[in-house]
Amino acid sequence: MIRKTAIAIALEHIEFDDRIISANGFISRDLFSISDTRSAFYMIGSMGLASSIGLGIALKDTGRKVFVFDGDGNILMNLGSLTTIGSLKPKNLIHVVFDNSVHESTGSQPTNTNFVSIEKIAKACNYNHTFMARTKNNFEKILRKIKKLNGPIMIVVKIQQSNDKKSARIDYEPVEIKERFMSQV
Amino acid sequence: MKETIQRKIFDYLLKNKIYNFIGVPDSTIKYFIDQGLKHNKILIATREEEAIGIAAGMSLFLEHPGEIISKSQSNSLVFMQNAGFANSISTITSLVQLYQIPMIFLIGWRGFLKNDAPEHTKIGKIQPKLLQALSLQSMVLDEKSWKKSCDWALKLIKDGKSCALIIPREFVD
Repeated sequence: MIRKTAIAIALEHIEFDDRIISANGFISRDLFSISDTRSAFYMIGSMGLASSIGLGIALKDTGRKVFVFDGDGNILMNLGSLTTIGSLKPKNLIHVVFDNSVHESTGSQPTNTNFVSIEKIAKACNYNHTFMARTKNNFEKILRKIKKLNGPIMIVVKIQQSNDKKSARIDYEPVEIKERFMSQV
Repeated sequence: MKETIQRKIFDYLLKNKIYNFIGVPDSTIKYFIDQGLKHNKILIATREEEAIGIAAGMSLFLEHPGEIISKSQSNSLVFMQNAGFANSISTITSLVQLYQIPMIFLIGWRGFLKNDAPEHTKIGKIQPKLLQALSLQSMVLDEKSWKKSCDWALKLIKDGKSCALIIPREFVD
Protein backbone atom coordinates (compact mmCIF):
# COMPACT_ATOMS: atom_id res chain seq x y z
CA MET A 1 0.00 0.00 0.00
CA ILE A 2 1.37 3.43 -0.89
CA ARG A 3 0.47 6.57 1.05
CA LYS A 4 -1.96 7.91 -1.55
CA THR A 5 -3.91 4.63 -1.48
CA ALA A 6 -3.95 4.62 2.32
CA ILE A 7 -5.18 8.23 2.47
CA ALA A 8 -7.91 7.46 -0.08
CA ILE A 9 -9.07 4.48 2.01
CA ALA A 10 -9.11 6.59 5.18
CA LEU A 11 -11.20 9.28 3.46
CA GLU A 12 -13.89 6.72 2.62
CA HIS A 13 -14.42 6.21 6.34
CA ILE A 14 -14.32 9.84 7.42
CA GLU A 15 -17.64 11.68 7.62
CA PHE A 16 -18.01 15.04 5.92
CA ASP A 17 -18.45 16.68 9.31
CA ASP A 18 -15.24 15.25 10.80
CA ARG A 19 -12.09 17.34 10.96
CA ILE A 20 -8.72 16.50 9.42
CA ILE A 21 -5.33 17.91 10.38
CA SER A 22 -2.63 16.75 7.99
CA ALA A 23 1.10 16.90 8.66
CA ASN A 24 3.48 18.95 6.55
CA GLY A 25 5.27 17.41 3.57
CA PHE A 26 3.83 14.79 1.25
CA ILE A 27 0.94 13.84 3.54
CA SER A 28 -0.77 17.20 3.07
CA ARG A 29 0.15 17.29 -0.60
CA ASP A 30 -1.28 13.81 -1.23
CA LEU A 31 -4.47 14.60 0.69
CA PHE A 32 -4.89 17.83 -1.25
CA SER A 33 -4.44 16.07 -4.59
CA ILE A 34 -6.83 13.21 -3.74
CA SER A 35 -9.65 15.25 -2.28
CA ASP A 36 -9.98 18.84 -1.24
CA THR A 37 -13.62 18.80 -0.29
CA ARG A 38 -13.33 18.71 3.47
CA SER A 39 -11.40 21.91 4.22
CA ALA A 40 -8.64 20.03 5.98
CA PHE A 41 -6.07 21.97 7.97
CA TYR A 42 -3.10 21.42 5.67
CA MET A 43 0.13 22.05 7.51
CA ILE A 44 2.92 23.61 5.54
CA GLY A 45 5.54 24.39 8.16
CA SER A 46 5.62 23.61 11.87
CA MET A 47 7.25 20.21 11.64
CA GLY A 48 5.97 17.57 14.01
CA LEU A 49 3.02 19.48 15.37
CA ALA A 50 0.04 17.83 13.62
CA SER A 51 -0.77 15.78 16.72
CA SER A 52 -0.65 18.89 18.93
CA ILE A 53 -2.82 21.03 16.67
CA GLY A 54 -5.23 18.08 16.42
CA LEU A 55 -5.27 17.74 20.21
CA GLY A 56 -6.10 21.44 20.56
CA ILE A 57 -9.03 21.17 18.18
CA ALA A 58 -10.26 17.89 19.67
CA LEU A 59 -10.33 19.41 23.17
CA LYS A 60 -12.49 22.33 22.00
CA ASP A 61 -14.66 20.85 19.25
CA THR A 62 -15.78 17.90 21.34
CA GLY A 63 -18.85 17.14 19.24
CA ARG A 64 -16.83 16.18 16.18
CA LYS A 65 -14.23 13.57 15.38
CA VAL A 66 -10.75 14.88 14.72
CA PHE A 67 -8.45 12.83 12.47
CA VAL A 68 -4.73 13.58 12.54
CA PHE A 69 -2.86 12.40 9.44
CA ASP A 70 0.68 12.10 10.71
CA GLY A 71 3.95 10.64 9.47
CA ASP A 72 6.55 8.59 11.31
CA GLY A 73 9.20 11.29 10.96
CA ASN A 74 6.72 13.89 12.12
CA ILE A 75 5.56 12.11 15.26
CA LEU A 76 9.12 11.13 16.22
CA MET A 77 9.84 14.87 16.46
CA ASN A 78 7.04 15.37 18.97
CA LEU A 79 6.79 12.16 21.00
CA GLY A 80 6.00 14.22 24.08
CA SER A 81 2.62 14.99 22.53
CA LEU A 82 1.67 11.32 22.94
CA THR A 83 1.97 11.69 26.71
CA THR A 84 -0.15 14.85 26.67
CA ILE A 85 -2.80 13.17 24.50
CA GLY A 86 -2.72 10.03 26.67
CA SER A 87 -3.15 12.14 29.81
CA LEU A 88 -6.04 14.28 28.54
CA LYS A 89 -7.68 11.39 26.65
CA PRO A 90 -9.87 13.21 24.11
CA LYS A 91 -12.54 10.69 23.04
CA ASN A 92 -12.84 12.24 19.60
CA LEU A 93 -9.17 12.06 18.54
CA ILE A 94 -8.06 9.52 15.94
CA HIS A 95 -4.35 9.61 15.25
CA VAL A 96 -3.36 7.94 11.98
CA VAL A 97 0.38 7.55 11.40
CA PHE A 98 1.41 6.71 7.83
CA ASP A 99 4.66 4.91 8.52
CA ASN A 100 7.15 4.31 5.70
CA SER A 101 10.19 4.37 8.02
CA VAL A 102 11.79 7.17 6.01
CA HIS A 103 11.70 10.95 5.84
CA GLU A 104 10.38 10.78 2.29
CA SER A 105 9.81 14.51 1.87
CA THR A 106 13.49 15.25 2.46
CA GLY A 107 15.01 12.47 0.37
CA SER A 108 14.06 9.19 2.11
CA GLN A 109 16.57 9.20 4.93
CA PRO A 110 15.77 6.39 7.44
CA THR A 111 13.71 7.00 10.61
CA ASN A 112 13.85 5.11 13.88
CA THR A 113 10.56 3.30 13.24
CA ASN A 114 12.80 0.73 11.55
CA PHE A 115 13.67 -0.29 15.11
CA VAL A 116 11.01 1.11 17.45
CA SER A 117 7.22 0.72 17.30
CA ILE A 118 5.14 3.90 17.45
CA GLU A 119 2.10 1.76 18.17
CA LYS A 120 3.71 0.36 21.33
CA ILE A 121 4.70 3.84 22.45
CA ALA A 122 1.10 5.04 21.98
CA LYS A 123 -0.16 2.07 23.99
CA ALA A 124 2.28 2.86 26.79
CA CYS A 125 1.04 6.48 26.67
CA ASN A 126 -2.55 5.45 27.54
CA TYR A 127 -4.16 5.68 24.11
CA ASN A 128 -7.48 3.82 24.49
CA HIS A 129 -6.96 1.69 21.38
CA THR A 130 -3.97 1.15 19.13
CA PHE A 131 -3.81 -0.71 15.82
CA MET A 132 -1.27 -1.66 13.20
CA ALA A 133 -2.42 -2.00 9.58
CA ARG A 134 -0.20 -3.65 6.96
CA THR A 135 -2.71 -4.33 4.15
CA LYS A 136 -5.61 -2.46 2.56
CA ASN A 137 -8.13 -4.99 3.88
CA ASN A 138 -6.70 -4.79 7.34
CA PHE A 139 -6.79 -0.96 7.34
CA GLU A 140 -10.42 -0.94 6.14
CA LYS A 141 -11.42 -3.38 8.84
CA ILE A 142 -9.81 -1.20 11.52
CA LEU A 143 -11.50 1.95 10.15
CA ARG A 144 -14.89 0.23 10.37
CA LYS A 145 -14.16 -1.05 13.87
CA ILE A 146 -13.12 2.30 15.36
CA LYS A 147 -16.47 3.92 14.52
CA LYS A 148 -17.81 2.42 17.74
CA LEU A 149 -14.72 3.06 19.86
CA ASN A 150 -13.70 5.98 22.06
CA GLY A 151 -10.40 7.76 21.51
CA PRO A 152 -7.68 8.52 21.73
CA ILE A 153 -7.08 5.94 19.02
CA MET A 154 -3.82 5.35 17.16
CA ILE A 155 -3.64 3.54 13.82
CA VAL A 156 -0.16 2.96 12.44
CA VAL A 157 -0.44 2.23 8.73
CA LYS A 158 2.67 0.63 7.25
CA ILE A 159 3.15 2.03 3.76
CA GLN A 160 5.70 1.62 0.98
CA GLN A 161 7.44 4.41 -0.85
CA SER A 162 5.96 5.20 -4.21
CA ASN A 163 7.62 5.87 -7.55
CA ASP A 164 4.65 7.96 -8.69
CA LYS A 165 5.03 11.62 -9.52
CA LYS A 166 5.05 13.86 -6.46
CA SER A 167 1.70 15.40 -5.59
CA ALA A 168 1.44 19.10 -6.32
CA ARG A 169 1.98 21.70 -3.62
CA ILE A 170 -1.11 23.11 -1.97
CA ASP A 171 -2.10 26.22 -3.83
CA TYR A 172 -4.03 27.95 -1.06
CA GLU A 173 -2.40 30.69 0.94
CA PRO A 174 -1.88 29.61 4.57
CA VAL A 175 -4.35 32.21 5.82
CA GLU A 176 -6.89 30.88 3.33
CA ILE A 177 -6.34 27.32 4.66
CA LYS A 178 -7.02 28.59 8.17
CA GLU A 179 -10.15 30.52 7.23
CA ARG A 180 -11.64 27.68 5.19
CA PHE A 181 -11.05 25.36 8.12
CA MET A 182 -12.51 27.75 10.69
CA SER A 183 -15.59 28.57 8.68
CA GLN A 184 -16.41 24.87 8.26
CA VAL A 185 -18.80 24.95 11.22
CA MET B 1 6.69 40.09 40.49
CA LYS B 2 4.54 39.83 43.62
CA GLU B 3 2.24 36.85 44.09
CA THR B 4 -0.92 38.96 44.36
CA ILE B 5 -0.24 40.78 41.09
CA GLN B 6 0.50 37.56 39.21
CA ARG B 7 -2.81 36.12 40.41
CA LYS B 8 -4.62 39.32 39.40
CA ILE B 9 -3.10 39.18 35.92
CA PHE B 10 -4.42 35.66 35.39
CA ASP B 11 -7.90 36.60 36.60
CA TYR B 12 -7.93 39.72 34.44
CA LEU B 13 -7.00 37.87 31.24
CA LEU B 14 -9.50 35.10 31.97
CA LYS B 15 -12.24 37.67 32.52
CA ASN B 16 -11.32 39.34 29.26
CA LYS B 17 -11.93 36.28 27.11
CA ILE B 18 -8.62 34.52 26.94
CA TYR B 19 -10.11 31.04 26.86
CA ASN B 20 -7.04 28.81 26.74
CA PHE B 21 -3.84 28.85 28.80
CA ILE B 22 -1.19 26.40 27.68
CA GLY B 23 2.50 26.29 28.43
CA VAL B 24 5.59 24.97 30.10
CA PRO B 25 6.14 26.08 33.71
CA ASP B 26 8.60 28.76 34.79
CA SER B 27 9.30 29.70 38.41
CA THR B 28 9.27 33.41 37.50
CA ILE B 29 5.54 33.17 36.73
CA LYS B 30 4.61 30.38 39.13
CA TYR B 31 1.78 32.26 40.88
CA PHE B 32 0.19 33.12 37.52
CA ILE B 33 0.26 29.42 36.64
CA ASP B 34 -0.98 28.42 40.10
CA GLN B 35 -3.95 30.77 39.79
CA GLY B 36 -4.82 29.10 36.49
CA LEU B 37 -4.48 25.65 38.01
CA LYS B 38 -6.92 26.71 40.76
CA HIS B 39 -9.42 27.63 38.06
CA ASN B 40 -8.70 24.33 36.28
CA LYS B 41 -7.74 26.35 33.24
CA ILE B 42 -4.10 25.37 32.71
CA LEU B 43 -2.77 22.81 30.26
CA ILE B 44 0.87 21.85 30.79
CA ALA B 45 2.69 20.71 27.65
CA THR B 46 6.01 18.87 27.39
CA ARG B 47 7.74 21.52 25.30
CA GLU B 48 6.98 25.03 24.14
CA GLU B 49 6.54 24.08 20.47
CA GLU B 50 3.95 21.54 21.53
CA ALA B 51 2.22 24.17 23.70
CA ILE B 52 2.01 26.55 20.75
CA GLY B 53 0.66 23.75 18.52
CA ILE B 54 -2.10 22.96 21.03
CA ALA B 55 -2.87 26.67 21.44
CA ALA B 56 -3.08 27.10 17.66
CA GLY B 57 -5.50 24.16 17.43
CA MET B 58 -7.66 25.58 20.22
CA SER B 59 -7.64 29.02 18.61
CA LEU B 60 -9.10 27.54 15.41
CA PHE B 61 -12.29 26.82 17.34
CA LEU B 62 -15.04 29.42 17.15
CA GLU B 63 -16.57 30.31 20.51
CA HIS B 64 -19.43 32.11 18.76
CA PRO B 65 -19.99 30.54 15.34
CA GLY B 66 -21.67 32.91 12.93
CA GLU B 67 -19.73 35.98 14.03
CA ILE B 68 -16.65 37.05 12.09
CA ILE B 69 -13.60 34.90 12.78
CA SER B 70 -11.52 37.57 14.52
CA LYS B 71 -14.35 38.23 17.01
CA SER B 72 -15.21 34.65 17.79
CA GLN B 73 -11.93 32.73 17.71
CA SER B 74 -11.06 30.98 20.95
CA ASN B 75 -8.12 33.10 22.11
CA SER B 76 -5.10 31.45 23.66
CA LEU B 77 -2.15 32.44 25.83
CA VAL B 78 1.06 30.41 25.85
CA PHE B 79 3.33 30.77 28.89
CA MET B 80 6.99 29.83 29.00
CA GLN B 81 10.45 30.77 30.20
CA ASN B 82 12.70 32.59 27.75
CA ALA B 83 14.76 29.40 27.30
CA GLY B 84 11.55 27.94 25.90
CA PHE B 85 10.93 31.03 23.84
CA ALA B 86 14.21 30.20 22.09
CA ASN B 87 12.83 26.70 21.43
CA SER B 88 9.72 28.20 19.88
CA ILE B 89 11.12 30.35 17.13
CA SER B 90 10.42 28.04 14.16
CA THR B 91 6.88 27.37 15.42
CA ILE B 92 6.23 31.09 15.78
CA THR B 93 7.41 31.82 12.22
CA SER B 94 5.99 28.77 10.42
CA LEU B 95 2.71 28.30 12.29
CA VAL B 96 1.61 31.33 14.31
CA GLN B 97 2.81 33.98 11.87
CA LEU B 98 2.43 31.98 8.63
CA TYR B 99 -1.25 31.16 9.26
CA GLN B 100 -1.84 34.37 11.23
CA ILE B 101 -3.22 32.65 14.31
CA PRO B 102 -2.91 35.39 16.92
CA MET B 103 -1.96 34.48 20.48
CA ILE B 104 -0.36 36.07 23.54
CA PHE B 105 3.00 34.79 24.74
CA LEU B 106 3.73 35.27 28.43
CA ILE B 107 7.46 34.92 28.89
CA GLY B 108 9.50 34.78 32.09
CA TRP B 109 12.68 36.77 31.56
CA ARG B 110 15.61 34.89 33.08
CA GLY B 111 18.97 36.56 32.76
CA PHE B 112 17.33 39.94 33.41
CA LEU B 113 19.55 40.36 36.48
CA LYS B 114 23.27 40.22 35.83
CA ASN B 115 23.80 37.71 38.64
CA ASP B 116 21.15 35.19 37.49
CA ALA B 117 22.34 31.58 36.94
CA PRO B 118 24.87 31.29 34.10
CA GLU B 119 22.68 29.30 31.69
CA HIS B 120 20.32 32.28 31.45
CA THR B 121 22.87 34.99 30.71
CA LYS B 122 23.06 34.76 26.93
CA ILE B 123 19.37 34.22 26.18
CA GLY B 124 18.45 36.93 28.70
CA LYS B 125 20.67 39.34 26.85
CA ILE B 126 19.49 38.59 23.31
CA GLN B 127 15.79 38.19 24.17
CA PRO B 128 14.75 41.76 23.21
CA LYS B 129 16.62 41.43 19.91
CA LEU B 130 15.00 38.05 19.18
CA LEU B 131 11.54 39.53 19.76
CA GLN B 132 12.40 42.39 17.47
CA ALA B 133 13.81 40.08 14.76
CA LEU B 134 10.54 38.11 14.86
CA SER B 135 8.51 41.35 14.62
CA LEU B 136 6.76 40.24 17.77
CA GLN B 137 5.60 43.32 19.66
CA SER B 138 6.19 43.10 23.40
CA MET B 139 5.69 44.89 26.69
CA VAL B 140 7.35 44.28 30.03
CA LEU B 141 4.80 43.88 32.81
CA ASP B 142 5.33 45.72 36.07
CA GLU B 143 3.38 45.97 39.30
CA LYS B 144 2.02 49.44 38.59
CA SER B 145 0.96 49.34 34.94
CA TRP B 146 0.25 45.64 34.33
CA LYS B 147 -3.38 46.28 33.54
CA LYS B 148 -2.52 48.75 30.80
CA SER B 149 -0.09 46.27 29.25
CA CYS B 150 -2.71 43.50 29.40
CA ASP B 151 -5.26 45.77 27.70
CA TRP B 152 -2.70 46.48 24.99
CA ALA B 153 -2.19 42.73 24.41
CA LEU B 154 -5.94 42.04 24.42
CA LYS B 155 -6.47 44.75 21.83
CA LEU B 156 -3.72 43.34 19.60
CA ILE B 157 -5.09 39.80 19.71
CA LYS B 158 -8.54 41.14 18.77
CA ASP B 159 -6.89 42.87 15.81
CA GLY B 160 -5.40 39.54 14.76
CA LYS B 161 -1.84 40.16 15.93
CA SER B 162 0.31 38.10 18.26
CA CYS B 163 2.37 39.76 20.98
CA ALA B 164 4.48 39.01 24.04
CA LEU B 165 4.09 40.05 27.66
CA ILE B 166 7.33 39.76 29.60
CA ILE B 167 7.81 39.26 33.34
CA PRO B 168 11.42 39.88 34.42
CA ARG B 169 13.01 37.65 37.05
CA GLU B 170 13.84 40.16 39.78
CA PHE B 171 15.30 37.79 42.35
CA VAL B 172 17.98 35.13 42.51
CA ASP B 173 17.42 31.98 44.52
